[in-house]
Amino acid sequence: MLLTLPAVGLVVVALLLPLIYLLCTAVRDPELRATLPRTAAMLRAWDGQGLPDEAVFAALVEEAREAAEGQRIGGLAQRLNFERTGMRGLLLRAAESEVAAPYAMGLPALDRNWADPAVWHVLRRASVGVTPLYLLRAVDLDMTAEGDVAVMAERPFLPLLSRTLWIAGMVTLLCLVIGFPVAMSIAAMPPMWARVALGCVLVPFWISIIVRTTAWFVLLQREGPVNSVLMALGLVDHPLQIMFTRFAVYLAMVHVLLPFAVLPMLSVMRRIDRRFARAAASLGAPAWRRFVRVTLPLAWPGVRAGGLIVFMLASGFYITPALMGGGGDQMLGAFIAEYATASLNWGMAAALGLMLMAGVAAVTLAGLGLARLALGRAA
Amino acid sequence: MRYRSLLAGVAIVAGLALPAMARELTVVGFGGGFQDNARKHLFQGYATATGTKVVDDVYNGEVARIAAMVKAKDIGWDVVMVEAPELVRGCQDGLFERMDWSVVHKDKFVPGGTTTCGAGAVGWGVALFWDEARTPVGPKNYTELFDVAKFPGKRVLRSGAKMTLEIALMADGVAPGEVYAALATKAGQDRAFAKLDTVKPTVIWWKSGAQPLQLVGSGEAAYAVGYVGRTANAAKDGAKYPLLWNTLLYSFDFWTVVKGAPNATEGMKLIEYMTDAGPLRALAGDWAVSPATKAVADDPTIKAKNPGMVANHAGEGLSIDTDFWVQYGDDLEKRFAAWAAR
Repeated sequence: MLLTLPAVGLVVVALLLPLIYLLCTAVRDPELRATLPRTAAMLRAWDGQGLPDEAVFAALVEEAREAAEGQRIGGLAQRLNFERTGMRGLLLRAAESEVAAPYAMGLPALDRNWADPAVWHVLRRASVGVTPLYLLRAVDLDMTAEGDVAVMAERPFLPLLSRTLWIAGMVTLLCLVIGFPVAMSIAAMPPMWARVALGCVLVPFWISIIVRTTAWFVLLQREGPVNSVLMALGLVDHPLQIMFTRFAVYLAMVHVLLPFAVLPMLSVMRRIDRRFARAAASLGAPAWRRFVRVTLPLAWPGVRAGGLIVFMLASGFYITPALMGGGGDQMLGAFIAEYATASLNWGMAAALGLMLMAGVAAVTLAGLGLARLALGRAA
Repeated sequence: MRYRSLLAGVAIVAGLALPAMARELTVVGFGGGFQDNARKHLFQGYATATGTKVVDDVYNGEVARIAAMVKAKDIGWDVVMVEAPELVRGCQDGLFERMDWSVVHKDKFVPGGTTTCGAGAVGWGVALFWDEARTPVGPKNYTELFDVAKFPGKRVLRSGAKMTLEIALMADGVAPGEVYAALATKAGQDRAFAKLDTVKPTVIWWKSGAQPLQLVGSGEAAYAVGYVGRTANAAKDGAKYPLLWNTLLYSFDFWTVVKGAPNATEGMKLIEYMTDAGPLRALAGDWAVSPATKAVADDPTIKAKNPGMVANHAGEGLSIDTDFWVQYGDDLEKRFAAWAAR
């Protein structure tokens, strides 16, 4: 019991706590309560019928003015505008205006949107402190003014998720198909040569991803060496567009991730007793059957580990696709990074992160299940 | 860092009373040729004039880094160069200090050169260019740039809504003066994206300012919209890049002080120095700048010496509307990102 504590601790610290934190960030909605506390309290008490009364209007204007004066209104403006276009300007104009009591008359005179109950419903929902908005938006759903769930007109994220998983899956497959014979031949080499070959596999680890990606750019550009050779050989009559295509993305990602597939497979293959294959041969099994029924099942733990590592890493890639691919090759990670570092919308970044994780988990489980089924049938 | 804490330790052991200032006055910009020259004339000029040590650093305009500093109350930068919409929004968010106009003289700036939290630093712009060595005849305006049949090959545009949507509308025949009125409407936004749809397969999107030059210089792309300062500099070094001033979109970058910066007071003085005519004239001798300081921006000798100065061509180009992008930036950037990834 005591012996499992380190493992349990690792799972809690490295997996569960970040996951819980991510989930909390995705549903937290603190801006209105922090910036306009009195207004938020009054909105929570409001029954949502028609428009709120003068006291709420007054509290909103007074607190918005204080917040603008204290340079802390931007976060709320962004949060509200994220839910409903135009709320940023609406709120900031109210904070900067000279509107005087009665505010329930003055604000709608300043901007007639203040007489729209939908605006106040957005504010009321934002006063609760938690919101499903980010999670809904991550799966291309939206909330109507009345608080119902609706499908968004533009559906950006689900297609991105499937594209991300597709690219990661293709890269994993390519890494395994290329890496398997490499690992197998290294495992069969005499120790001296195996060390040299392993060194060759590991060399890319020593070079940063950016440098390797840039090197691909130099090679693959229109006037680069690859196109020059193709033209000189007469294989093509005008330079091929290789950069900024899906092919370039696959190439660079496989190059970066190949060692992660080779190493686990190699460590398993080294321990495979080669007498098994010889025994199968002596019993009359042809090469393909020896491979499917002996070698592959024995190497399976390594293939599984390599495939898992490559798939997980590949699904989080976004710098390589950004440098090598076109707009249609961008992956979900680019949007998570954009929300986290540029637009400072951590709720949306967390929601997309959760969605990516769920997608990766689902595909991984399905893939492992399918592979087990196939192996079982073959055996 | 470790070296610095070692030094601090030595100083304490030696019984020296360290001044309250935790670190050197730090100024952060976007790097490149401008910052190399600004280091000599502005940062070190201030250091020489006052005896205050100034160090500088580079960032890519990620306001998130400043937000993280302010939130953690661990502020590593004092004076920062920011783009106008980021300045206005950062000011509302409490990331930047209000300008102290008793230290910085407000009346020395060109119109639009001051905001609540910032003082105008330098003007910048983007414009259309191509490599005449490869493509003797290129598009003369944005309408031609979007004519894929007449001008084949890849074209390089900025990955983002700002500037790209204005360009799309101008390509579709909207007069520069009416671009922002149109972009404020749903119909105008749809029109801009529809126009972008017509060139999408032929576009390479750039994120960092060096990319347009690299892509055109290597022959990967035929035409590009890139920063005029860098293009003019490449042309000076021998590249055959014509600059089309009728395609100019321009704005100002600003100096601001990070909220709660330990050297905030000193930072204001540095901004006052960096926007003064003397140091800027010295800087203009080495690098084509377009300062927001009236006396230098309007100086005929400096203008004559720097034909690439944005101030020389403001009449021909479109001024990027800061207020528009503060208000509509969130929505349009979101829509652009989704559109581009489709």
